Amino acid sequence: MTAGSSHRLRFLVGVALAALLGAALLRAFVSGASRQIADEAEERKAIVTLQAVTSLVHSAGDGDAVRKVVAAWQARTPSVSQVRVFLADGMRLEVSTAPGDAGERAAPRRLQREEKPLYDRNQRIAAAAQTNREEQQARKAEIEAAPLGGGRLSLAGPIEKDRASVGLVEIETALQPAPRTPGWSGFLLAVIAPLVAFALLALIIGERRLPLLLAGVACVAVSLFWMGRAAAAQIAAEQQRAAQAVAERVREQGAVTQEVAGALGLKTDPAAPGTWDVDGFRKPRGLIAADGSVDAQRLGLQMKEAAGAVRKTVLAAGALSLVLLLVAGLGGFSAVGVTLRRHRQAYLYIAPAMLGMLALVFFPFAYGVTLSFTDSNLYNTSRPLSEIWVGLRNYADILGDFGFVKRSESGIFVNYLNFYWTLLFTILWTVTNVAIGVTSGLILALILNTKALALRPLYRVLLILPWAMPNYITALIWKGMFHQQFGVINQLLQVFGLPAVSWFDRPATSFLTALVTNGWLSFPFMMVVSLGALQSISADLYEAARVDGATRWQQFKAITLPSLRPALVPAVIISVVWTFNMFNIIYLVTGGEPSSSTEILVTQAYKFAFERYRYGYAAAYSTVIFGILLVYGVIQNRVSKATEA
Amino acid sequence: MPLSRLRDELPHGPLHLILAVATLVTLYPVFWVFSIAFSGKQSLAIADLPANPRVIDRLRAVIPWPEKISASNFVSVMTDQPFARWILNSALVAIFTTVLGVFLACTAAYAFSRFKFPGRRPGMMAFLVSQMFPGTLMLIPLYIIIVQILGLGSSRIGLIIVYATTSIPFSVWMLKGYFDTIPKELEEAAVIEGASAGKIFWRIVLPLAKPAVAITALFSFMTSWNEFILAATFMDKENMYTAPVGLRFFVGGFSQQWGYFAAGSIIVSIPVVLLFLYLQKYLVSGLTAGGVKG
Repeated sequence: MTAGSSHRLRFLVGVALAALLGAALLRAFVSGASRQIADEAEERKAIVTLQAVTSLVHSAGDGDAVRKVVAAWQARTPSVSQVRVFLADGMRLEVSTAPGDAGERAAPRRLQREEKPLYDRNQRIAAAAQTNREEQQARKAEIEAAPLGGGRLSLAGPIEKDRASVGLVEIETALQPAPRTPGWSGFLLAVIAPLVAFALLALIIGERRLPLLLAGVACVAVSLFWMGRAAAAQIAAEQQRAAQAVAERVREQGAVTQEVAGALGLKTDPAAPGTWDVDGFRKPRGLIAADGSVDAQRLGLQMKEAAGAVRKTVLAAGALSLVLLLVAGLGGFSAVGVTLRRHRQAYLYIAPAMLGMLALVFFPFAYGVTLSFTDSNLYNTSRPLSEIWVGLRNYADILGDFGFVKRSESGIFVNYLNFYWTLLFTILWTVTNVAIGVTSGLILALILNTKALALRPLYRVLLILPWAMPNYITALIWKGMFHQQFGVINQLLQVFGLPAVSWFDRPATSFLTALVTNGWLSFPFMMVVSLGALQSISADLYEAARVDGATRWQQFKAITLPSLRPALVPAVIISVVWTFNMFNIIYLVTGGEPSSSTEILVTQAYKFAFERYRYGYAAAYSTVIFGILLVYGVIQNRVSKATEA
Repeated sequence: MPLSRLRDELPHGPLHLILAVATLVTLYPVFWVFSIAFSGKQSLAIADLPANPRVIDRLRAVIPWPEKISASNFVSVMTDQPFARWILNSALVAIFTTVLGVFLACTAAYAFSRFKFPGRRPGMMAFLVSQMFPGTLMLIPLYIIIVQILGLGSSRIGLIIVYATTSIPFSVWMLKGYFDTIPKELEEAAVIEGASAGKIFWRIVLPLAKPAVAITALFSFMTSWNEFILAATFMDKENMYTAPVGLRFFVGGFSQQWGYFAAGSIIVSIPVVLLFLYLQKYLVSGLTAGGVKG
């Protein structure tokens, strides 16, 4: 029995791959989660520190008292290397313990030109705090953290008086180095143990497929279960440690502020340490109790959440591992391997192009389609897709809303954002453009095909020019020529005593501008195609027809048109697709004016994504467009096959 | 000529009239661009109108001839404005896109043309269907991959990678069609002589396919030279604009620098227009053969 056909060997490989994949996924998950927990703890500690010094600054008021308080505080807080306090009133750098700000540059002084970043930071934070207050929600970060490199963080938050931001406190603090990644021993064990177990079982089972499969699944499942438990325990321990570290910082800073306040005598007492553990929007996280101890109940909830995430990851890893095990065990890989080896050369030649296409064409497509099932928009891009999943809602919203004509008291009006309006408009746009292109192209081609016509080559080259010009330039030129006040089209109308038209104020005239522009640039294609076909018609045919006494019109119908068909049909098919997707003309000429009435599907999808920032909706819109094109392609394929046969 | 007498052709006068009108309509926007470009002003109007324009004044404003001829728009668009840099960006992107894209397409097209292997038909169909993917659907994921994951926003490399891969399907279909016409006997003879597969590809097939490769390369160059949407989405920084994004920058939004736009358009268009006039006969056969492509 050869190695390639041994069930045991195949399943052994399958178990190895499955265990390896499962272990790798879980390990990646655990180290990601640990890093996240550690980062968050560091951020919380830094924020607690910032809140402590801010509350001291608040209590001290201003002037020398603040400088003394900050100096005393910093002397007791070794992790902080510099503090700056900026007051917007008078652009004052009130306090600075930065090494450069000594002697002549010592605070208090006016902010200098090169310190504009501090001023900008104050503006941003003040604006964010105001926005959040006005909108009654946490949308913009009021505490700004900027990593400085070298494990240091610059953190700034507002100073407030009467609920209005009057300045900011900025600290530079050292971060604890990131925790080391989990060791490899657990990982190795998780790979080797199921492998050894399966090998032993396989010795007993022999070459029977089903028992081998069950044994393999069991081994991998047990190992994954065990790894999942270990992972959950580790994450829980880290959460505990992080919470403790934050609580410790709260207590430490509480003591420091007490001490400073006691030594220097402040106007008011600093805020209670229990309120210092806040998020970037200065909303309390509620994980630390008022006395500075860890709130066990909240921590428990957090741990439960983390355990749930671990369970999900284990299930996902298990599903993937199972697929691997099945494919490998049932001989999928060996078959693929044989094919790959047999056609090695072909795949080698294809691979670079295929990889590029996979990464930058097919993957983005798949991702875009996935996005179409979510409510992704500007404000939730950082959240995982599973959290913003809305199923088919976008499609239902797009395809289910037929109400593009609405009746109101002031008359009938059209909802131009409705899909079916845009679809109708796109069809109108495509049909009129192709009709204009074919007619004018064909007429010019017939004329140019006249033998012995003088200057034929010159006409031909000049008439091709619009096709040769980059179409975005064409679009911008026509946009300029249709300008209401200075455009030449309106000047020309006025030469004939007609009034100037505001082209982009009404849907019909706006449509006309795009139509003219696109007609101008698209007729040469049809002309060239038709001319090529006309020139290939043998003159003998016409001669024979004339001998039979056919009229010019009969000749055209019986000879010219049928001979044009093989060339014109593909040309029309492709120009329908081109026009349907003619983004540049619509986007640059009408821009959808007035009020999105002249958008075609592709520009509308673009605007939903990049002007209204509804990514999920735009993705669904684009997927519908793809569906339309696909159906068109299939029908066109059928039709052309049927006509060929 | 007896033939023409037999066909009793239409009189040439009206035909010339139709052609002349068509040519005038075709050329007018071109003349318009030239007169704005050589006007030395940023204005959209060819001639300034007096307060109460008479018909003759209006007529003057329609005739595409600048009031004062000056090349100052050309000089200052290349020196005062960063347009030279934008052209450099466009040129670099287009050149490297062409090299990378055509290389990838050549090897793939050769395999599709010469080898029989599982996945050949689906692969080619996938390439064809990918031409129907709407650009707007790809833009968001591409933006995430190129800008957020790879950190290549406002970078020429990012644009080159995207252009090169998206140009592959069209190039593969063009090249495969040509490779199919190269007789297999040549390669079979080389195999008998003991040539390796790599040698056959580089030494025999590619030199024979030189015309097709050259044309595919020129198309690829033209497409990336003219591309607007992706460049406008990825290139945020003003000094990294490509020429199309830059031209739009002159006249988009509230900016009304029509003189710079016109001069820049002429500079950007001349190479591609010449290239196009040279290439158009290949384009027609290539396009109409392939069916649906967007």
